[in-house]
Amino acid sequence: MTETSTTLKEYEADLLVTAVDRAAEDVVVLTLAHPDGQTLPAWTPGAHVDLVLTDNLTRQYSLCSSPSDSRSLQVGVLRAEDSRGGSVFIHDNLAVGSSVRVRGPRNHFPLVSSPKYLFIAGGIGVTPMLPMIEEAEAVGADWRLVYGGRSRASMAFLPALAQYGDKVLLLPRDEVELTLSKRIVELLGTPATDTLVYTCGPEPLLEAVEDACKAWPEGALHLERFQGKELDESQDTEFELVLARSGQTLTVPPGKSIFHAVEELGIPVLGSCHEGVCGTCETEIIEGEVDHRDVVLSDSEKASNETMMVCVSRCRGNRLVIDL
Amino acid sequence: MTQSFQGRVAAAVVVPTDCWYAVARSADITNSLTSVRAVGRPVVLFRTSAGTAVALEDRCAHRAYPLSAGTVQGDTIRCGLCGFVYDAGGQCIGVPTQARVPLGAFVDAYPVRESDGLVWAWFGEPGRARLHRLPELPWLVDADWATVAGDRPVDASFLLLHENFADVTQVPFVAPDISPAVLGDAPPPLEVTVSETTVSLRRQFPPARMPAWQARLTGRPADVELPTVQEGYLLSPAVWVDYWDVQLTDDTWARLRFTQLVTPIDERSSHLMWAVSRDFAVTDIAATQELTATFEDYYSRVLTAMETAQSVIDRDGPGREVNVSADIVGLRIREIVEALLAEEGA
Repeated sequence: MTETSTTLKEYEADLLVTAVDRAAEDVVVLTLAHPDGQTLPAWTPGAHVDLVLTDNLTRQYSLCSSPSDSRSLQVGVLRAEDSRGGSVFIHDNLAVGSSVRVRGPRNHFPLVSSPKYLFIAGGIGVTPMLPMIEEAEAVGADWRLVYGGRSRASMAFLPALAQYGDKVLLLPRDEVELTLSKRIVELLGTPATDTLVYTCGPEPLLEAVEDACKAWPEGALHLERFQGKELDESQDTEFELVLARSGQTLTVPPGKSIFHAVEELGIPVLGSCHEGVCGTCETEIIEGEVDHRDVVLSDSEKASNETMMVCVSRCRGNRLVIDL
Repeated sequence: MTQSFQGRVAAAVVVPTDCWYAVARSADITNSLTSVRAVGRPVVLFRTSAGTAVALEDRCAHRAYPLSAGTVQGDTIRCGLCGFVYDAGGQCIGVPTQARVPLGAFVDAYPVRESDGLVWAWFGEPGRARLHRLPELPWLVDADWATVAGDRPVDASFLLLHENFADVTQVPFVAPDISPAVLGDAPPPLEVTVSETTVSLRRQFPPARMPAWQARLTGRPADVELPTVQEGYLLSPAVWVDYWDVQLTDDTWARLRFTQLVTPIDERSSHLMWAVSRDFAVTDIAATQELTATFEDYYSRVLTAMETAQSVIDRDGPGREVNVSADIVGLRIREIVEALLAEEGA
C-alpha cells in the first residue's frame, strides 16, 4: 500500500521592507509587503510573526498594524544591545527595499471578547496592544492602557495613543514617582469579574502582574513572553512515545526533543523557535503526564494536560500518547 | 499495543459570528424583499434607491411577523401585519396608531458589503466588521472567466462541508464516474500551509487524462496525458476555494476555480452557493449549459453524502472518530474555528 506523504509548514514569504519609521529613540517600525502586491494571511490582534533574519537567527515580533490591512504588516523593534542579536541585526541591516523572510502570523495572545480590558505594557511590549486597542474601540469596550517606559523619548507610538485621551496612562520613569512596577498592586489589587488583563513587557513586569492576578478569576490574565526558560537537559529521561494518528511508536532518548524525534520519522509536525516560546508546535495530549517546559501555556493550561509544546516539553512517566 | 485508547468525542458545532458570510448574489437583490436564514437569524434583504444592499432582522419589533412578508416603500419596509415602517438602518420611523414611535422599536441591521458579485453580511458585533477583510474571488466577475453556479440548502453543518471540500481524496468514492483520472491513483505528496486564520493545500499530479469534457473544451485529444496542479484554500470559515490547473503546454494552462460559499443556517444546516469558473472556452454557451448540469449533479451527490453524515450525528450524537495523517487539513480547519469561537467568548 502506498502512503501519501504530507508536508506541513507555516505560511512563509520573502517580504519587502516598504517603510522604516522611527517610533522612539531606539525603536523602528518596519512595514512589510509582498513584492508582488499579494494579499497576506489574515490575523487577529495579539498575533506575531517570525522574522527569519539569517540561518541561525529567527525572532518573534508582535504585529502592531491593523488586521484590516490585507497587503502590509508592521512590527515594532527595539534595539536591544544586550539581547541575542535579532534586534541589532534588524536596526543595522534592514532598510527600505530590503527583503526579509516572514513566517506566520500565529496568535497565542488572542483578544477574547469582553466588556472591559486592562492593558498593561512595559516598553516595547506595547506593540501587540495597538491592534487590541483598535478592536476594543471598534466594539465599544471599556478599556484602559497603562504604559510604562524609561522616558517619553523612549516610548513608541505616543502620537498614535494621544487620540485616546485619558484612557491611556503614561508612566515614564523619569517623570513619575510611582512607576509602573510600583503601581501594579494598586491597578490589580481588586479582582474584577468583567475585566480581562493583557500584559506584555520585560520579565519582572510580567512576574509582578502574574503575582497580582493570582486572586483574579481563572482566565482573566493573558500575557505573552518572547524569552524562553533556561532549559536543563540533565533531568531528561527516556520514554516511549506513541503517535496516535499515524499509528507509530518510538523511543525518545534524553537530550532529544519530541519534535526532532518525530520529524526524523518523516511525520508532519510544525515547529519554529525550538525553545518553547512561539507556540507553533502545540500538540494535543491523549494519554500520559507531561513535563511542561514552555512559556506559552498558562499554569492552568499546563495543569489541564490537554496540549503541549513538543519542542521542549517531555514526559514525566515512561509513556506518552499524542495526536500526531 | 494498548486498547485503552478510546478516541475523543468531537465537540458540538457552534457557529462563529465574526466572519463575513455570503448571503446572496448581488444580481438577486433588488428593490423587492428577499428572505434568507443565516447564522441562526432570519434576515431580509433589499436594495435602496441609491443602490445600497441592506440586511435587516426579518422579524417585526411589534409582533412575530417577517418583514419580508411586507412591502418596500421607497427606502423603507412596511410590516405586512401591523404597518410599522422601518428605515434602511432598522429604525422604526412610523407606526399607524400613534404619532410617536415607541422606544425600542427597531430591528437589528447587519453590516453589508458587496464584492465579486456577492452580498456579504456580518452577524457578529457590528463594530468589529470593518477590521475583517472580505475574501477576494475575482474570477467570479472577471470577463476572462466563465462561471457556472448553483446553490442549495444543505442539512449538514458548515464544518462537515469544509472538511469534505478540503479532502479531495473523497471525490473518487462519492462521484466515481466524473472524478478526474488523477484522483484514482495514490494521491501525490500533499503540501499543507497554515497561518493563524487560514489553511491551504497543494498537490502536483503526474500527467494523466483530463475528464472528457475538459479535453474537448481545451481542444486536446481525449487520450493526451497532462500534469495538473491542485490548490485548496480556506479563505475564511465562509469560503473554501479549489484551484485545479491543467498544464497544456510549457506556458499555457487550462484553469478551473471551484468556489464554495458556505453560510451556516444553524449548527447543523448550511446554505451552499457553489461556482465553477474556467478560463478556457469562456464564450462557449453550450459548454456552460452542459457544465451546469454536470456540476449540479456532482454537488448534489457530495451534499447528499454530507447530509447522510449529518443525519448519523443527529441521530447518534457526536461519536468516536479516528484520524489519519491525511486529515491534517480538516483538523486544522477545526482548530481555526475553535480559536475564532474562543476569541468570541463562545
